[in-house]
Formats: sequence, structure tokens, C-alpha cells
Amino acid sequence: MKETRLSGLTFLRIYLRSFLLQSSWNFEKLQNLGFFYLILPGLRSIYGDEIPADVRQRHSGYFNTHPYFAPLVAGTVLRLEARQLAGEESEVDAETYKSMVMAPFAAMGDALFWGGVRPLAALLGLLVASQGSLWAPVVFLVLFNLPHLLFRGSGLILGYTQELRAIETVQKCRIPDLAIRLKESTTVLIGVLCAYLSFKGCEHQELSAAWGFVLLPVVLLFAWLAHKGVTSLFLVLLTTSSLLLLALLF
Amino acid sequence: MVVGDYLLAGIVAMLTGLDRVALVQIMISRPLVAATLTGWVLGSPLVGMEIGMLLELLWLGRLPVGAAIPPDDTQVAVGATVLALSVGPTLGLSGMPVVILSVLIAIPLGKFGQVFDRLARHVNDRLAVSGHTALMAGDIAGLERNHLFGLISFAFASLATALVIVLVGSFVLYSVAPVLIGAVQEAGLSLHYSLIMVGAAVLLGTINVNRSASLFCAAFTGTMLVLWLK
Repeated sequence: MKETRLSGLTFLRIYLRSFLLQSSWNFEKLQNLGFFYLILPGLRSIYGDEIPADVRQRHSGYFNTHPYFAPLVAGTVLRLEARQLAGEESEVDAETYKSMVMAPFAAMGDALFWGGVRPLAALLGLLVASQGSLWAPVVFLVLFNLPHLLFRGSGLILGYTQELRAIETVQKCRIPDLAIRLKESTTVLIGVLCAYLSFKGCEHQELSAAWGFVLLPVVLLFAWLAHKGVTSLFLVLLTTSSLLLLALLF
Repeated sequence: MVVGDYLLAGIVAMLTGLDRVALVQIMISRPLVAATLTGWVLGSPLVGMEIGMLLELLWLGRLPVGAAIPPDDTQVAVGATVLALSVGPTLGLSGMPVVILSVLIAIPLGKFGQVFDRLARHVNDRLAVSGHTALMAGDIAGLERNHLFGLISFAFASLATALVIVLVGSFVLYSVAPVLIGAVQEAGLSLHYSLIMVGAAVLLGTINVNRSASLFCAAFTGTMLVLWLK
């Protein structure tokens, strides 16, 4: 039997459905319905409208990965399903592959997108916003979504065309290293933003800019407290009450 | 603000809330975007953006990993913007002081978002069971329906959070504004900058990078010197 190839329209449907992966996120099986919903157009192309019960069973169980990596997993899973139906042998079956990659891909996605790209884009957006420009949210959205949307699309194609070799390709991209570089850039931007705000604060209070350096140890102290588990809410209350008390007293 | 404005704000609350987990995730749920969007539909995008700036970094380091549910900064941003633009004018307040007061009142109420979000996910537990049952019975449309119904629980959770923030926040703002407004006006811009810097410090403390302190200090000192000597 010849292997079924997915059409461009099916890829488009899967890509669009990836935006709904987490619509029924639940504590029991996390993204289980979402993953089946995601690959459904592909399964229909492979098996027709009557999807076999064992296929339905193996793709509706526990599933959890980073939402932006899900199309990559979906691409490989669909290719493995098509090959299995065509009687071709593969090193691992679709179910094993899924359970093998979902956790590492989740960790990579969290580090890259939530820990790397998002804070960096937010910091750049804030620097634009601090100039009073209403373009700030647009800058943030564009900077974040360019890599995000490209990653979803290319992940789907990569997963389908390279199958299991997609894992090697992802490894070669050195995503954890890239995430660290992005975090380092974010740290530098935090310094730039804090210095800019300190300078503006001194300017506003008609103080010498040298006083701005006083805030450096204060920010470091707060960062240390946050690192030790002190909540943002507590730090906000501490700062606000101190400043309001000073304003009332002097 | 008229009823139509509140309805528009409610729609923004649901759409941005859905973006947090359930739909698309293009980050219109980030405070900088959600607050500006709310301000824009209510006629004051700049007020929204100022609120978004204050809130953007506070919980940015809290990753939405697995079953972890961070405080709902999206609805804090939407709710604070509605408070500033609805209650502020009725008290004769505008500008930075009312922005700061609204944000300070809305921040603790973000905890309600965690409660409602958890409830929505428990509702989805049932959808997952019925969706799976439908699938095993060969009713694929049933699975799709159950999956998409999950959007409704997330949308209602967002709306409920925004409502609590606006209702409780209005009561608190009416109560504390006459007492605190003088001090907030006095502290004004310092308070504004400080809140952003608290967010920056929290992000710095949770970013988990070796050498983060030295990188931060070098960037801070370098920028200060450039601005000072310019």
C-alpha cells in the first residue's frame, strides 16, 4: 500500500487548529482532546472518515507539551501513522514517539518562548512605552509573534518531512543555549530600563543623576528577595507603603 | 462610561483572557497589550498603556508551566483600566494618581483569577471525559464539540475575574481614594517608576541566568553614565 501524503490544505487546517490546542485544557489529561483535535484533519486524510478505534484510543490519552511545539509533534505523528498504514517499518510507533518527546519539547518551549522571547519582547516594548509611544504594544506583539508563528508553521513541516530526524534537527538548533542568550539580553535590558527610569526620576525631582545610582543596590536587594521566594505582591505593598509614608511625612 | 463601554470592556476581558491559555496565545493577554486595548475601546489608550507598563513585568517570570496557574495579570490590567476610566472621573480624579491607585487596588484582586481559572479547568475535566467517551463511541463531532466548549469555561472565568476586580475595586477605590489621593499625588511619578522597577527586580530575581547580577550592574551603570554625561 502506498503511503498517503497530506495536502497543503490539510497542513493549513492543522496549523490553524494548533491555535486551539489548549481550549479544553484540564487537570486530568491536560491537552488530550486538544491533540486529537489538532491532528484530526491529518488522520482523516490518512484513514478517511472512519478512523479506527485503536488510532482514536492512542491519540486521545494524556498529552502535554509546549503549545508552540505541538505542531512539530503532530507532523511527525501523522507521518508515522501514514507509514504504519502503508506497512512501512519505523524505529518507534507514533504513541511511543509522542510520550518520548512531549516532556523535553515542553521544557525547551518554556525556556525559549516563556523564559526567553517573551521577556525580551516585553522589555523592548516597555522601553518604547516609556517614551509615551502607543506603538509599544505593537512592537511587543510583532517581536514576539514573528518567531512564534514561524516556529509553529516550520515545526509542522519539519516534523512531517523529517519524521524522527526532526529531533536531531531540533537538537542542532541548540534551543537551551539560545534561551540562555535571550535571557542574558533580557538582563541587560532590565539594567537599561532601570537606569533610564532612575535618571528620569532624578530629573523629575530636580536631583543630580548621581542619586540614581542609589537605586542599583535597592533593585538588587528586591531581586534577591524575589529569588528567595518573596512575592511580587509583597514587594509592591512594601514599596508603595514606604513611598506613601514618606510622602505623608515630608 | 455608558453600558456599551462596559460591554466592550467585557468582550476585551474575555478575548484577552482566552489568549492566556485556551486560544491562539499571541500574547494579547499581556498587560501592556490588554490594558492598552481596554483603554482604546474606552477612548483612552494612553491611560491603558500606562497601566500596562506598571503591570507588565510583575508576574512575567511566573511561567504558565503544566498545571501552574499564575495570578491573572491580564484581568488585573483590564480591571485596573476600567477602574481608572470609570470610577476616577466620578471622584473628580484623573491622570497618574488614579492610574496608580487603580493598579494598587487591582493587583491583590488578581488572586481571584487563579480561583476562577482553576474552576474552569475542573469544568474541563468533565468535558475531557465526555469528549473521550464520544470519541470512543465513534462520535468525532462530539469530541470536537466538547473540546471547543472548553473555550466557554475559560471565557467565563476571565469575565468573572474582571467583574470581581471592577466591582470590589470600585468599592475600595471609592473608600480609599479620598484618604490616599493626597499622598499618591505627592509621591506621583516616583511611585510610577518604582512600581515598574519592582517588576524589573522581580524579573531579574527569577530569570535564572548565571552572571545576571553582573550583567545587570554593568548595563545599569553604563546607561546611567551615558545619560548623565550626555
